[in-house]
This record gives sequence, structure tokens and C-alpha cells, in this order.
Amino acid sequence: MKKLVLFLSLTIAGLHYLSAQNEVLVEAESFISKGGWVVDPQFVEQMGSPYLMAHGMGAPVLNATTTINLKETGKYHVWVRTKNWVPGNWEAPGRFNVIINGKVLKNTLGLENDWTWEYAGKTRIKSHKVAIELNDLTGFNGRCDALYFSKTKEVPTNDTHRLAVWRKTVLGEPTAPEKTITFDLVITGGGLAGCAAAIAAAEQGLKVALIHDRPVLGGNASEEIRVHTLGIYGKYERILKMIDTEHYPNGSYKAKYDQEKRDKNMKSIENISLFLNWRAYDVLAENNSIQYVDARQTATGERIRFEAPLFVDSTGDGWIGFWAGAEFSYGRESVNKYDEEWEKWGELWSPEVGDNFVMGSSVLWQTEKKQTKQAFPKTPWASDVSGNHAAIAGEWYWEFSRNDLHQIHDAETIRDHMLRAIYGSFSKAKNDNKNDNIKLDWVSYLIGKRESRRLVGDHIFTFKDVRDLTKFKDSVVMEIREVDVHFQQNLKDEDKPDFLSTALFFETPKYYIPYRSLYSKNIANLFMAGRNFSCSHVGLGGPRVMLTTGQMGAAVGFASAICKKYSVNPRGVYTEHLEEYMELIEKQQ
Amino acid sequence: MFFNMDQEYKEIALDQEIFNFTGQDTTVVHQLRMLSDSLGAPRFFYADIETPVCADGECKLAKIKVYWNLLGNYVGFGVFEKTPLTKNEHDPFTHADYKKLHQLLGDRYSVLERRKMDDLIDEVPIVGEALKTYKGIDAISGATKKEIKESVVKGGLYSCYTLWHLANGAIVKAMKSHLETIYSDAITNYLLKSSYLDYQEYGLKKLRKEKFEEHIEDVLRIFHTTTPITRAYILKKIPNELFQKEIVTSNFYSKFHEVDKNTRTQLIAKMIQSDPKSSELLVIHIDIMTNNQLESYLELLKKHSAYLNEFIKKELKTYARSKDVKYNLKVTEFIREV
Repeated sequence: MKKLVLFLSLTIAGLHYLSAQNEVLVEAESFISKGGWVVDPQFVEQMGSPYLMAHGMGAPVLNATTTINLKETGKYHVWVRTKNWVPGNWEAPGRFNVIINGKVLKNTLGLENDWTWEYAGKTRIKSHKVAIELNDLTGFNGRCDALYFSKTKEVPTNDTHRLAVWRKTVLGEPTAPEKTITFDLVITGGGLAGCAAAIAAAEQGLKVALIHDRPVLGGNASEEIRVHTLGIYGKYERILKMIDTEHYPNGSYKAKYDQEKRDKNMKSIENISLFLNWRAYDVLAENNSIQYVDARQTATGERIRFEAPLFVDSTGDGWIGFWAGAEFSYGRESVNKYDEEWEKWGELWSPEVGDNFVMGSSVLWQTEKKQTKQAFPKTPWASDVSGNHAAIAGEWYWEFSRNDLHQIHDAETIRDHMLRAIYGSFSKAKNDNKNDNIKLDWVSYLIGKRESRRLVGDHIFTFKDVRDLTKFKDSVVMEIREVDVHFQQNLKDEDKPDFLSTALFFETPKYYIPYRSLYSKNIANLFMAGRNFSCSHVGLGGPRVMLTTGQMGAAVGFASAICKKYSVNPRGVYTEHLEEYMELIEKQQ
Repeated sequence: MFFNMDQEYKEIALDQEIFNFTGQDTTVVHQLRMLSDSLGAPRFFYADIETPVCADGECKLAKIKVYWNLLGNYVGFGVFEKTPLTKNEHDPFTHADYKKLHQLLGDRYSVLERRKMDDLIDEVPIVGEALKTYKGIDAISGATKKEIKESVVKGGLYSCYTLWHLANGAIVKAMKSHLETIYSDAITNYLLKSSYLDYQEYGLKKLRKEKFEEHIEDVLRIFHTTTPITRAYILKKIPNELFQKEIVTSNFYSKFHEVDKNTRTQLIAKMIQSDPKSSELLVIHIDIMTNNQLESYLELLKKHSAYLNEFIKKELKTYARSKDVKYNLKVTEFIREV
């Protein structure tokens, strides 16, 4: 019998709140019914928690509801941690209010800058059971992190670090997770690379945990982000065909068919334990070796410690490596550092002096033509970004990067900027009668990143490796697709919208990536696959597409089998067992 | 004749042969020539081109004069009245067609670069398995096909394709290499004083750091009129000892509010390499800074007291009391801390 362990949370049992005598903290993401609100865990490392967001694309969403038990009745002050995501001289776009036992609290929320505790009002609680509702007023991405009921009017802290400590105290959370599970291989990040790594390792008999912070697998290829997979299968056609996509236009609803295929295949594979909706939040590394990864259920707050001798970082942002102390890089290197000049494009390709003009993140969206007229609200709060740009469709070049923004630390700002670009451009297009019947059908609320942290391995893959067509004795990934590096259009013409990019293409017959770029230089038991593999900024330009990253994942999965067989770390596969490893790779198809 | 540099063209007095080259069709040889002014200063490359344009096994001869600037970038073309370019069915190009061709040849980013001739007429969407190995852009979609159609002359697809690759192909690199062999300080001077962005960029690239002061007026003029990517280049390259002169600092920072956001980020980061005057010029514009820019600015003020004087404190206090809600809490907190 196939053994499949699929951990799904029971929201009622796991409702994440604590009721003390005089205070109660309710995590919004743990609401029993989310209504039309979505759980957004993308920015936990920056703002402290997953949150609920009213992503209605202009139409107010259904109320999120939950019930809590208060130990004491009486008068309570209610605070809500939220933010005005577009502060300015207009009505805040993400307004909502709180309803307690059917009665709306006095203050509208979502009005203040930055994540902060806004005062919702006071309420008199007459029975221990209390019904709470979040009532969206706009459909434009109001957000709620948590609610705090207190008998005093003392506002909780807004300082991120103190808030984290306070949260643990109020929730009575012990230092370590309640549960520990041990595997042969723990993979964090269920994009194409993580999925391929899991399949390859599981096929070789390893017990694998795949931790992923979304309900569906595939990352940028998932139906939640909808980028089609590009590149070739290399040696891993059998594996990658289980998880790839057709070549539908980016943003197409057709992504859901490949999603069904991918999820079904992943759930059918023996030895893979899927932890969907679990987000890793910490790592312990001792003597440069990872001992465990801690992860939290994104809605209930339940926690698990994952122990293993080997780990894969396929988070895209290199979080596992970062927490473990792995060397990493970010930004554009000097052209001279790795000899990456392409004279034709000069500074746009690779600068004389390094900088932060990295490739940006995209938010895809789709519209549909209906039989009847479709209204869309005015979005004055978006016009700062969208300007006079009008559009009824998005594509890969809807992309944002700016040198004061970090693709990880400022990801929420970047996502919100793209939402303003989309809503504002669509609203502008709706001024034209010919678009009367066009409906904004879908806008992703997840950002699709191209570039972030790159963990450093024994080999740093660069443009020089592509240009020189370097063949390595440990070549485990091959690719014929062009290297394409993006830049923001407004770097060449500042009249262009800042959310559109252009791609520069370098043709190549075939290039190779060595295995040595797929494990950490200084964390002994850490593999990496996906865009956070060991490469330079320009080196990333080609292999960042998802069949190539999938190849990396498969290569890492097979390497982990060699590690287990001989009790060696990832580097040992290269130094001691390369012949056997390459034979194993060669046998794949 | 369609030409982007009319004024310079009027100065042409000398015409000299340089070398022969071929395009994608290596059997047809063209001669590259250099045009110079009366003093012998090089101004353009050009070639009289006669090339077959072939489609469906039928070839026609296209005759055209192509002009490039000193960097090998296409700037114009001319045709002969008796031998106009022709479209399918041998119809001659119209004025609008020539205009479109001129725009196309000047588009270095054209999608034609990465397309084979066959791709241009393939209007059937490519789906499924065939695309798994397709070496395309991250969006081979209807939109991209449309982009091709919109950028070429209707009925003149093959001429456009052939001529684009001639004007923007390997010859560009060869012209740039030739420029290197004749390069001089006089050319740097000419490039920096020109009004063309590509000339300015190249002149800045070639400008040695020790020569920056000599050309500071050109550098500042370019900084205030060029693209963000070139502004970034200037700010990275300008020597600190020059940047921190008060007059230079003032020139860079006095138009903080007029430059793009990426440049503002760099100016804030470079504040501590400038004369403290910069801080005074920045504080009056904190309302247009991004959140991260303001944080960087305040952080630098905290760490470098030379940039925090009474004028700046006063401005910060005024802002903190203002009705601009965007940052007043942040600024208030800063004032409390310092």
C-alpha cells in the first residue's frame, strides 16, 4: 500500500488564539470560515504573521467569521493589526470593519500607515461565546493580521521584534514545536525544483518531507501564479512531465489543468509526505550542519520540527540557507567579477560597478469579455503608479524592481505596487467604451519572483559558463533556451511606466550547470535547487525558468540517494562518488 | 532619405573606404565606408547595399544606402528613385512604408533579432509538445506575434527582416572595433558634447576618472538630461574628491526632486561622500522620498553628525508638524531619538 501522509489542518481544532482573564489575541488567519478573504503568508518574515486579505478585485468579499470563547464577560476594547496599504490624499482602498455578535464596531479600519494596531472600538460581551466577523468594504485588498480583545485600553506594541515576543507570550507558545518528525530528506519549497527533488529522492527510496506554504504545488507554475514552464527536460523528462505545464499564455486559467495533474501525481508517489500550507520559519545549524527545520501551519499556527540528515532549500528566497548561515549573494555583480560582459548591452546587462538593479517580480492577471456591461470602481489611489497607462491584459513584462526595494524584504511593497499598476491601468482602460464588457477576471495576489538570494556553492554558475559553453565533468543540468536578463523599461526611458520590463536575449546552442552549484559551500548538508542556486545575477538569467530549475531539483534528489547510500554529505558525492552519481543521472529519461 | 542626424550630415566632406563585410547571406559582399567632416573628423559609417531579398524561392534585389553613427548604431537610410524597395507583388514601398522601415531598423530590441524567417509568417499558435523545446521568450503568445506584425511593413516582411539583420547584425560590432582603432580624446570630447544619448553614454564610458573634472560641465549637463541608467553610471564613476566639492554637490542635489526615483536612491546613499550641503538640499524633499529612501536618509543623519545641522532639524520638526501623514510619525520618532 502506498504510504501518503497528507497533513491538513483542522481549523476548528487548531484555532489560533488564547484567552486569558483579561485579554485575547485572535490570529485572523485562523478564522473558522475565511469567507472571501484569503490567507496571505508571503511576508511573515517582514511583518510577523500570515494575514487575511480581502482580495475581491474591486468587489467586496464575503465576511470572514469565527467564534471564540471568552473566560470573562464584560466590556472589551478591540484592536486590529492592519494597515492602509496605499496612504495618501484619497480614501484608503482597503477599508473594513469588525462585527462582534452582529454589531458593527465604531471605527473603520485599514486607515493608518504601516502595520499597526488600529482601535476598532469597544464592545460589551454578555456571554462567553463570541462571534466575530471581518466585513470588507471595498474589495481592494484590506488586510487583517490579528484582533486583540482587552479589558484595558492599552495598545499592544507595534515594534516588530517586541511584537513577536509579545505574541508568543500572549499565545502561550512554547519555545520548541510540539511535534518532531524525522525524514531522510527535508525539502522546503514546493515549486518545480522542490517537487522534482522530492520525486527523484522518493523514487530512490528516501523518506521525503516536502514543506510548502501554499495549498497547491508548483510555485510560479501553480494556478495561483500561472507562469508557464519553459526550458527543456534534460535527463529528467519522466519526472518533469509529471509537474510541468502546457504553453498557455501566462496568466491563463488553463493553469488549473496542470495544477490538477501536478497535485495528483505528487500525492500518488510513495515516500513523499506533503506538508501543504506549512511555512518554514526557523533552522538550527550546528557545526555548519542543519539539525532541523521548524515550520508552522499557515492558518492554525500548529508547529512541527523536521529532522533529517539532508535538506534542500528550494524556497526561491534561500531562507533555509539564510537561517543556517549559508553564504549568499544578492544584486548585480560588477561585470569584471566573473567576466560577464556582453558589450552590446553594456550597463543594462552587467554594470561596471555592482548595484541593486535586479530582475523584478511579476503579478499576472487576466480579463474576460462578457455578454453584458461590467462595472469597475474608480481607483484614484492607483493613478500615482499607473499614470495614463491603460490595459486589459497582463504578461510576463508586468514586472517591478527598483533599487531602493529588496525583492525579499520589500516584497509586500512590490506586490502592492503591482496591484496598483493593474487596478489603475484596468480602470483607465474601462474609460473607453470598447472595454465596457471586459471584466477583471483574475489577479494573482502572490508575486512571482525572478531573482532573490542566491546561495553560494562550490561552483558559482555565471554567464561565462554559458558563453564559453563549458562542459563540466559533473554537468547535471543542460539547457538550450536563451539567457534572458530583464531590466525595467524606465531605466532607458523614464517616461515609461515603472512596472514594465524588457528582456535582453543571449542565444546559446546548449549550456550546462554543474552539480557543484547545487549544494552549499559552507553548510555541509544543504542542497539548493531553483532560482536560489549558486549563480551570479547574469548567470541566473537563463536557468531561472522552471524546467531548468526542475532539472536542478531532480539532480539534487538523485544526489541525496548517493548521500544516504554512503553516508556522505553533498560535497562527498562530487569528491568520492561522482562516477556512480553521473551514471545514475545518465540512466534517467 | 530618412535620417536621424541631419545637422551632422551637413558637415560631411570626405568619404573613405574602410573594409568589406557580408550579412546573413555571406555570398553578397558590401563595402563599409566612413564619412568625415572637412577636418577629417569621423562622423558616420555607411554602405551602399545591394542584397537579394528572397521569399518562397523568388529573389528580388533591394538597393539601399544604410548609415550608422560612430558607435555602429543605425541612424538612417536612403533609396534610389528608380529602384524603390518593393513589397509582395512588386508594389513599391510608400512613404509610410519607408517611415516604418526606418523605425524598425532603429529598434535594437526588435523581436526580429531572435526570429528565423519562417517564424514571421507562422500565424498558427504553437501549442503543446512542440514548444517544450522551443527556444523562445517567456511569452511566445498571440501578443508577440502581433508585435512582429505591427513592427514590419505590411507585404514587406522579407525586406524588413533582411535589412534589419544587415543594419543590426555583426557589422555593428565591427564598426565599434574600428572606432577603437581611431579613438582619441577629441572623439571623447565630441561624444560628451553631443546631444545623443548613446554618444554621451559611450563618451562617459571612455572618460578616465582623472579627466572628470575637466569635463564636469558636460557631465552635469548629461546627468540632468540623460536616462536613469546613465545617471546611475555617472554617480558610480564620479571621483569622490570631485563629488564633494560644494559647487558640484549642489548641482547634483539641487534637482533631487526632478530626477527619477532610482537616481534619488543613489543620491541619498552618496550623501556622505558629498559636501554636507547635500543634506540641506535633501531635507526639503523628504515628502517625495520613498519609505526606504527616507529611512536611509534618517539613518545616515543619525550616524554622520556632520550632515545634521540646525537647519535640518528645524525642517524636520516643521515636517513632523505638517498635515502630510505619509511620514510624519517616522520623522517625529527620529527627532525624539536625536
